[in-house]
Amino acid sequence: MTDHDAPHGDRLPCGVRADDLLQQVIDGTPPRDPVHQASCPHCRATLTHLAELWAPVLDLAQEDVRAPAGLLQAVMSEIRELARSGWSAVLRDGTGQTRIAARVVGAVARLAAESVPHVTLAFGGGRVATAAGEQTDRAAVAGSEDATDVGLAGDRVVIDVQIAVDLGVSIPRVAQQVRDRIADHLTAQTGLRTTEVNVTVVDVRP
Amino acid sequence: MTRPADGANPLEVHWVELARGGDESAFAALVRTHQDQLYRVALRMTGNPSDAQDVVQETLLQAWDHLPAFRGESGFSTWVTRILINRCRNLHRARRPVDSLPEEHESAPGMPHSPAADTLAVASQSRDAVRRALLALPLDQRAPLVLTTFAGYTFAQTGRILGISESAAKVRAHRARRALSMTLQEWR
Repeated sequence: MTDHDAPHGDRLPCGVRADDLLQQVIDGTPPRDPVHQASCPHCRATLTHLAELWAPVLDLAQEDVRAPAGLLQAVMSEIRELARSGWSAVLRDGTGQTRIAARVVGAVARLAAESVPHVTLAFGGGRVATAAGEQTDRAAVAGSEDATDVGLAGDRVVIDVQIAVDLGVSIPRVAQQVRDRIADHLTAQTGLRTTEVNVTVVDVRP
Repeated sequence: MTRPADGANPLEVHWVELARGGDESAFAALVRTHQDQLYRVALRMTGNPSDAQDVVQETLLQAWDHLPAFRGESGFSTWVTRILINRCRNLHRARRPVDSLPEEHESAPGMPHSPAADTLAVASQSRDAVRRALLALPLDQRAPLVLTTFAGYTFAQTGRILGISESAAKVRAHRARRALSMTLQEWR
C-alpha cells in the first residue's frame, strides 16, 4: 500500500468503516450518521471496544510531559562553550582539557574516507558555512579545503564528507564503509564520539 | 497537552532573527518555548528519558549551528521538530546493528522482552503496554502517530515536519493507529 491509498480499513457488517469509528474515538470527530450509529449494535459494540482499547493510549497522550529541569541550562552552556572555543572539540578529564581544532577533525575524516577502497576522492571535512539565506551546493564545494566543521559540540562530532567512487561498485556499501572507517579513525585518533557521518557521493570515476 | 500553534508568532520571528545574528538570549527564549514539546516528541519516539534528553539537546545545538541557513519558510517549531525526528532516526539507525532483536521486539527499558501472556494481559490496560506497542511500530509509522496523537500536531503540520503531503501524513497516521490497535488487541 502506498501513502496515496485511501485508508479504507475493514467495514462492519452494517457497512460503516472501522477506521471512521477509530477516528471518532481518537480525534473526537462527530459520527457521519448519528441516527444510524445510535441504533446500530455493530457500531455501538465497536465504539465501546475501541474506546476501551484506546483509553490507555489517550491517557498516555494526556500525560504532562515536561523537559528535564537542566535542559535549557545545558544547551546554553554548550552554546557558550562553542562560541568560546572557536569550533574546537573539547575533551576533558581530571587533569585538564584537550582542544582539537575542527580542521583537524575534518582532515582525519577525509584521510579515513580516502583509505576506503574504490573511494578515489574525498574532500571536505564538514559543512560549508554560508551567509544567511544562502543555499549550499554540495557539488560546488567538493574539493574546497575551506570547508568548515559545524558539527562539533563538546566531544561529539557530526561529519559531512563528499566522495567520488569507482564506477560499478555498490555506492550504499562503500558509503557505509566510509562511515564506519571515519568513526573508527576519529575514535582511535581523537577520542571524539562520532554521532553522525553523512556521505555525499559527488562523482563517479570509470 | 497544548496544541502546537500554526502560523508565525511575531515575537518568535523576532527571536529567530536575533538568534540568527548570534543573540544567545533570544535563542534561550526559543528553547524555553519549545523544549517541553520537543522533549514530549523525543520521549515517545525513543521510549527512554535519557535518550530523549540527549536527542533534544543535540537537536537544539544543531538548530543553533544551522540557524543562519534557516530561511523561515516553515515555522521555527516545524523546522526544529524536523531536525529532532531526523536525529531520532539516526539514533535508531546507529543502534540497530547491535540490537539482537528485530524492531518488532524492541521494548522500553525495564519492560520484559518476552512477557508472559498473563503479564501482557495485565499490562495491556496500562500506559506501559502503550509505550511498548508504540516502540514496536516502524519509524515511518511511529513518527506521524507521535506527532499527531501524542504531540497534538495537525496532519498538515505533521506533513510539513516529515516533508510529506498532508494526505500522506494522514494515511501514515491512520496506518499506525490500526497497527497500534492490532498490537494492543493481541496483548489483551
